[in-house]
Amino acid sequence: MKVAYYPGCSLEGTAKQYDMSAKHVCRGLGIELEEPHGWTCCGSSPALKMNRLLSTALSAHNLALMARQNVADVVAPCPFCFRRLKSAQEEIAEDPALRERVQQVIEEPLNGQLAIHNLLGFLSQKVGLDAIREKVIKPLKGLKVVPYYGCYVVKPPSVTSFDDPENPTSLDEILKVAGAEVLDWDFKVECCGAGLSLSKTEKVVELTGRLIKEAAWRGADAIVVVCQLCQANLDLRQQEIGAQENKNFAVPIIYFTQLLGLAFGYSPRDLGLNRHFVDPVAVLKEKGFA
Amino acid sequence: MLRITGAVSEKELLDQVMLRSGQNLLECLQCGKCSGGCPIASEKVGGPRQLIAQILSGMKQEALTNPTWWYCVSCGTCMTRCPVEINMYEVATALCELAEENGIAPSEPDIHLFEELFLKSVERYGRVNELRTVTAYNLKTKNPMKDMDKGITLMLKGAMSPLAMLTGWAKDAKTGRIFSLVRGGTEGEQA
Repeated sequence: MKVAYYPGCSLEGTAKQYDMSAKHVCRGLGIELEEPHGWTCCGSSPALKMNRLLSTALSAHNLALMARQNVADVVAPCPFCFRRLKSAQEEIAEDPALRERVQQVIEEPLNGQLAIHNLLGFLSQKVGLDAIREKVIKPLKGLKVVPYYGCYVVKPPSVTSFDDPENPTSLDEILKVAGAEVLDWDFKVECCGAGLSLSKTEKVVELTGRLIKEAAWRGADAIVVVCQLCQANLDLRQQEIGAQENKNFAVPIIYFTQLLGLAFGYSPRDLGLNRHFVDPVAVLKEKGFA
Repeated sequence: MLRITGAVSEKELLDQVMLRSGQNLLECLQCGKCSGGCPIASEKVGGPRQLIAQILSGMKQEALTNPTWWYCVSCGTCMTRCPVEINMYEVATALCELAEENGIAPSEPDIHLFEELFLKSVERYGRVNELRTVTAYNLKTKNPMKDMDKGITLMLKGAMSPLAMLTGWAKDAKTGRIFSLVRGGTEGEQA
């Protein structure tokens, strides 16, 4: 199966390990990921906040590039890119005047409809748990994890049309198939502070602090994420969170594709597990998975 | 105490926000589920319920300087729980555009600065150069050492490359042209 793969800016930078592990896992499952040539940023939250037309136009430009790839499906690992691309396609389909205006701005025709998936939804629903189960050669038996979905992949449901917005289960299911022990917790979809990372760091410390403390209290070996913004916020702020309570937190924050990759038999280095701020390799070694 | 007099001018902001955002704020029940679940609502940052109340009451200055819509990270929690499904991040965009058109200075200059620098990188290169955007932000806020220890650790682990700072990224004419056509300018014609 060949699909268009829209990595988004972060996956070329600080979230390279998400890109690396996604590619290994998809190759293992026989899926060909094809990047659209010359893709550009979707504008992310700054464009969405500051200029509606710009935001829709940036996504539309990428949709036009992908429409030329002769594929039916688009896969976006970044939940914000996923939500923005999906939303832009719907906005344009529902509003002929907007379509006209956007076509003028991007100077390209907008035709056709693509099926736009987030990577978690694509793997768990389109590829399917049975196909994934067949590829698991090293089940992650005894690894205790809490599944963290964050916001953009499920909320708001009228835009994402994916899983349950308050108690999603697709990541739980996929991690169970990989053999991990999935712990129950209260913060599956609680916000990490997203793009306020730099400008309101104290807010991010407050919000991620709730997640880190709960995960530690539950005895999780790691928090498993599907979003690079969640990963960065949770990975980078544990010193500040610990300093407020005179504790040392070191909870590894791992992409779900990295754990799937381990279960498929790839090495930690292939999956970029050495690139994290809080080292996940030590605990994985201790449990015999690395 | 604020009393609504029924003057047409009191409805001007409400009309504009509803038109631009496509959200029917007249359906708002003021139930407060939005602010109850909002990650950024606090005593200092009023939250969505307060913001909608200000718009409904024609409190233009208060609404356009309310920090809520600057803080909004478009997580979508409020809309998920809203009984009438008001999409607040669409409202945030409408207020941001209206504040700019009305010449109102951003009430949260740090958030505004970061978002501006982010979009500048997109306009120039077509994609965001994370390291350059972060460095530019830290320099402009006169806090050049912020998170430096973290950056160095990530570089040592190979997760971030200092080369991204030094080597030039290719400029992307197409994105620059989209930006300029959105602005309605003609500068993009030469691109």
